[in-house]
Amino acid sequence: MDKTEIRVGGLGGQGVILCGMIIGKAASIFDAKHATLIQSFGPEARGSACSAQVTVADEAIGYPYVKSPDVLIVMSPDAYTQFAPQIKPGGILLYEKELIALDDKLSAGVKAFGIPATRFAEELGRRLVLNIVMTGFFAGVTGVVSFEAVEKAVTSSVPKGTEDLNLRAFRKGYEYGRDQVAGGN
Amino acid sequence: MKLEGFPQNVALRDGASVVIKPLDVEEASAVLKFYRSLPEEDRLFLRDDVTKPEWLRRFVARIESGETVSLVAESEGRIVGEATLDRAQHGWTRHVAELRLAVAPALRRSGLGTTLAHELVRVATRIGVEKMVIQVVENQVGARKMFRKLGFRQEAVLRGHVKDIHGMKRDLVVASSDISHIWDAMESLVADFSPSHE
Repeated sequence: MDKTEIRVGGLGGQGVILCGMIIGKAASIFDAKHATLIQSFGPEARGSACSAQVTVADEAIGYPYVKSPDVLIVMSPDAYTQFAPQIKPGGILLYEKELIALDDKLSAGVKAFGIPATRFAEELGRRLVLNIVMTGFFAGVTGVVSFEAVEKAVTSSVPKGTEDLNLRAFRKGYEYGRDQVAGGN
Repeated sequence: MKLEGFPQNVALRDGASVVIKPLDVEEASAVLKFYRSLPEEDRLFLRDDVTKPEWLRRFVARIESGETVSLVAESEGRIVGEATLDRAQHGWTRHVAELRLAVAPALRRSGLGTTLAHELVRVATRIGVEKMVIQVVENQVGARKMFRKLGFRQEAVLRGHVKDIHGMKRDLVVASSDISHIWDAMESLVADFSPSHE
């Protein structure tokens, strides 16, 4: 069975859960795969640690918890410190490179790709779409979900009237991801 | 300012199609031609005398400075509708934009006005406008209905504020649409907050 385990980590208010939800929705509804989502929050709305565990597979998923992710998406230094040691050997780290400094916690063979997602979101007009930039970056680097599927998942997940900016955020992250892969990181 | 997503081919209710795009200031004289073709009664409801070249010069200057966004609808190379978003660049109402709209008589009730207005609302959300206002005369029933469908709500009525072509005083209705709530919804969505913790 072809299965990808993903963990998304960050702070409350960064849209961590929505990022995981869009990946799962893109895979299960628009790419005709299977997906599960587990979410965990801190007790406060903002600033507390939060993470999502997403599994995408071409067959039904029996166990939805992600212990060692194939792909780790992190948007805060704490999430990096907590989850980076868990990445599978040969796995992929996607990180917000202006918020997180890499250290020696990464296992050998992990491929790391950074993106200034917060800055991109601010340049697009709203810091709020940082998570959508990261979602696009995930799709662009890994190819686990198709461009079209994520585009549809974004459109159907965000509030009416915000689709344009969210789609631009997605494309920005996706293209940056494709360039990173093409440029050999 | 470069607007993305244009030009757009739009099919109207009667099967006709138009192209909607930002006004190219190099071709701005076509707008003058369009406004001159409107019935005098329609032009009376406009704040400026849009048939004069001086108005066009000011209009183009505002587009170039970014204060105004203008979308035009073209059919067979002619402008058949124009929609304007006007926004102060500074001051205490810089989050507010006024929307104005004109459609050729032959294309009214075809959905063109709604399409133009809808596109301008989309542009407004993209450029950070938080509130949109319109002014319509009480007897512009079709326009009032259309804007209501687009989420505009009446805020004020200025009694006897305008005179129509027959010299009759009519009420001016000011309606607005608060589009800042759109982003409030997005903020809630990215809060990463479990309702069970409330």
